[in-house]
Amino acid sequence: MQGPLCLRRTAERSSMTGILRLLLVTSLLSCWKQALVGANSWWSLALNPVQRPEMYIIGAQPLCSQLTGLSPGQRKLCQLYQDHMVYIGEGAKTGIKECQHQFKHRRWNCSTVDNNSVFGRVMQIGSREAAFTYAISAAGVVNAISRACREGELSTCGCSRTPRPKDLPRDWLWGGCGDNVEYGYRFAKEFVDAREREKNFPKGSEEQARSLMNLQNNEAGRRAVYKLADVACKCHGVSGSCSLKTCWLQLADFRKVGEYIKEKYDSAASMRLNKRNKLEQVNQRFNPPTAEDLVYLDPSPDYCLYNETTGSLGTHGRQCNKTSEGMDGCELMCCGRGYDQFKTVQVERCHCKFHWCCFVKCKKCTEIVDQYVCK
Amino acid sequence: MAGAIIENMSTKKLCMVGVALLLLQVLAFLVGGLIAPKPTSYVNPVAMKCVDIRKNHHSSKWFLPWGKGQCKSIQTFDEATNGHIEANDIVFAAHIPNSQFEMSPWFQFMLVVLQLDIAFKLNNYIEDNSMVNLNVSVAYRDDLKEEWKELASSMEQRKLNCILPVEKTVANEGRQYDCDVIPLMELGSVSHKYYLFNIRLPVSEKKKSNIAIGEIRDLHVVCIFQNGGFTMVWFAMKTFLTPSIIIIMIWYWRRITMMTRSPVLLEKVIFALGFSMTFINIPVEWFSIGYDWTWMLLFGDIRQGIFYAMLLSFWIIFCGEHMMDQTERNRISVYWKQVGPIAFGSCCLFIFDMCERGVQLKNPFYSIWTTDVGAEIAMAFIIVAGICACLYFLFLCFMVYQVFRNISGKQSNLPEMSKARRLHYEGLIFRFKFLMIITLACAALTVVFFITTQITEGNWKLGDLSIELNSAFFTGIYGMWNLYVFALMFLYAPSHKHYEDGHSNDGAGMSSGEEIQLTTTITHIDGPTEVYRLAGKEAQE
Repeated sequence: MQGPLCLRRTAERSSMTGILRLLLVTSLLSCWKQALVGANSWWSLALNPVQRPEMYIIGAQPLCSQLTGLSPGQRKLCQLYQDHMVYIGEGAKTGIKECQHQFKHRRWNCSTVDNNSVFGRVMQIGSREAAFTYAISAAGVVNAISRACREGELSTCGCSRTPRPKDLPRDWLWGGCGDNVEYGYRFAKEFVDAREREKNFPKGSEEQARSLMNLQNNEAGRRAVYKLADVACKCHGVSGSCSLKTCWLQLADFRKVGEYIKEKYDSAASMRLNKRNKLEQVNQRFNPPTAEDLVYLDPSPDYCLYNETTGSLGTHGRQCNKTSEGMDGCELMCCGRGYDQFKTVQVERCHCKFHWCCFVKCKKCTEIVDQYVCK
Repeated sequence: MAGAIIENMSTKKLCMVGVALLLLQVLAFLVGGLIAPKPTSYVNPVAMKCVDIRKNHHSSKWFLPWGKGQCKSIQTFDEATNGHIEANDIVFAAHIPNSQFEMSPWFQFMLVVLQLDIAFKLNNYIEDNSMVNLNVSVAYRDDLKEEWKELASSMEQRKLNCILPVEKTVANEGRQYDCDVIPLMELGSVSHKYYLFNIRLPVSEKKKSNIAIGEIRDLHVVCIFQNGGFTMVWFAMKTFLTPSIIIIMIWYWRRITMMTRSPVLLEKVIFALGFSMTFINIPVEWFSIGYDWTWMLLFGDIRQGIFYAMLLSFWIIFCGEHMMDQTERNRISVYWKQVGPIAFGSCCLFIFDMCERGVQLKNPFYSIWTTDVGAEIAMAFIIVAGICACLYFLFLCFMVYQVFRNISGKQSNLPEMSKARRLHYEGLIFRFKFLMIITLACAALTVVFFITTQITEGNWKLGDLSIELNSAFFTGIYGMWNLYVFALMFLYAPSHKHYEDGHSNDGAGMSSGEEIQLTTTITHIDGPTEVYRLAGKEAQE
């Protein structure tokens, strides 16, 4: 959680991560068996650092076989596009971080459980939460690949920085380098969906329904990035008039993408498999979901209590807000079990002087705050 | 000008000409839509955050974002905070284009804008009317082994227009501002292969420089240039159109000189219009491939300006000469009221363009819009030009209205006139209405196409075919005005048919003498005596 977003780290948060860590350790111990049961996921790229491919070239070590969590199809893609793997990992990380931000005040807070299955068994249930997680991580990959593409880090995308065959400058003369976001979208589609496409589940089975659900949610996530990308334009016609205009896509702040997918989470559609092996809405009175909407199959499990079979971690030890009536309020968060009260000293930086980069001069202000933790 | 080709042509032939022109027009659109790529492209690298580790920042050193001699760089500014690096040590470096590519003179121009990613912090936010001071230097080289040579360097101040799309609360810390793009520079020629941008944002509390501009995360350098492929298609089109218009111009002028009278005003104006079209057409741009002519952009603007001024004047004079209200015109001075605004407006735009693109020849970073005073002056020029344009269109509409009023008046009298006069008036009316329709069609097409390209995406897909709308717009409209001028010179050239008529004596009832009288005075057909008097005067001259 200590990314560049959180410069102002308060005691509140660090104590929270402390509790989380404690929880993580305990749950890791108890999930020892689950790690074997729970399917490995490519999300693990976010947690296990992917080394830059250059190092593998020097060390002549096969990168792709080292990575856990890839399906056979994804492994093949990994071999073809080794330089992309770092960014997929980064994308998954951004996705998870955003998920944790969006669900900060919910009973299920998107916490990662172990390095292989990442979110643990909860993801095996086709719930709204699973839908959100699939969407946001797919979005994270589009975001990261597009970014890397624009920066010229990827050999196969438009304006690459790595050397390629000689005949290319002619193409360049003819057309420019193409759209990074589109490249990111296409690659993410290949990679993220590979897992679902390569399996052949029996028709009408639960697994097939789940596979369809994942595909739909992945697509919704990818589209969110594409849809929210800003178009920036510059006019440059005769005397600077707008008779000639050049526009380019600019990736949106990922927080916006997170908020957008969260909205989709709130309005997600409950689906079931119909006789023609397509997903259909349970409640036919509503408008059918579009490609941009999230869908789910099963109701969410009870996230209040620790449950090994569902993978729920429970809300024991979570912080809550005494005065709030929302999800982060102690009443809802602790599921009526009550809470403990602590007093902590919170150190905050205040009266700061900033430059646009790298220079902050602050005073330290301390404050004693009450904290509430679920029983 | 009586007895133009258009009147004496049979309907069948006229239709054939019309169809031929229409086909050429479609061809012009297709050339742009199918052959040419989109008119402009861009590269938008994120500037590398280089760290200037030397103590007193000599300006001679260039910072390379990658490749051989790559600078020491950081990924995010958090690293800098931990490493005690200051804002003044940061150099944003961008190389254009990416390594395997080369820029080329075919790109014609290069426009560079900056985009800043600025994060919101509750106690480090962007104040209203903030300015950002940029210390920019641009270098070039033509070989990867060469040393970088300085192209330009300057200290520039730009306005920072940013809005935070959400409320300014703690919860929204870290959100990005929506910032307008910052125009940086404009080059009128791309004669080098590699360009390097080094940008510093020096902070000085004393000078209040770059204070309160938020927390910058990234700087994107967006470089826009014309597509090489589009340039080729464009040049090819110009090279093809130039001789076509020149040939028809020669033919047209020969026809006029073959007449026994001296050319009338309208004929001269049509010729001038053809001349200004040729002026645009002549593909001097070919030289920009070999020579570093940075003034090409300005020159292009001037050429277009002259053509538009000519076209607008032509419409006014054409209306005036078809007024049929028994007044002698045939002199440009009669039209001062209408042509005056055109000349004045064009001058305003010319001065504005000289202030913007003219100064850019000296300092490529200059823009009149960056300072408040400059922006006001520029706006003033544009508003004055706009008023002139409005004035002009009021005059034009009034004249067209007058012509139509006169036409309806004349049409009721037509059956009572003598055959010669009737033919003359019918010719006038037909000529006028024909041009009216063609002009309106051209103008409408221009406007419709302009709006279409503005509101739709630049690319249409029809099955396997993909049509580049923007390119089609440019080649199509350019071809259209060329065809317009071509058709004008061809159809409104004086006809020689009456000679043949005279020889064959088919009894058209139009003696060549009367024809010449009608020609010289166009609108003036009051009484035969008057005509003869004027004709005599002309003869004396």
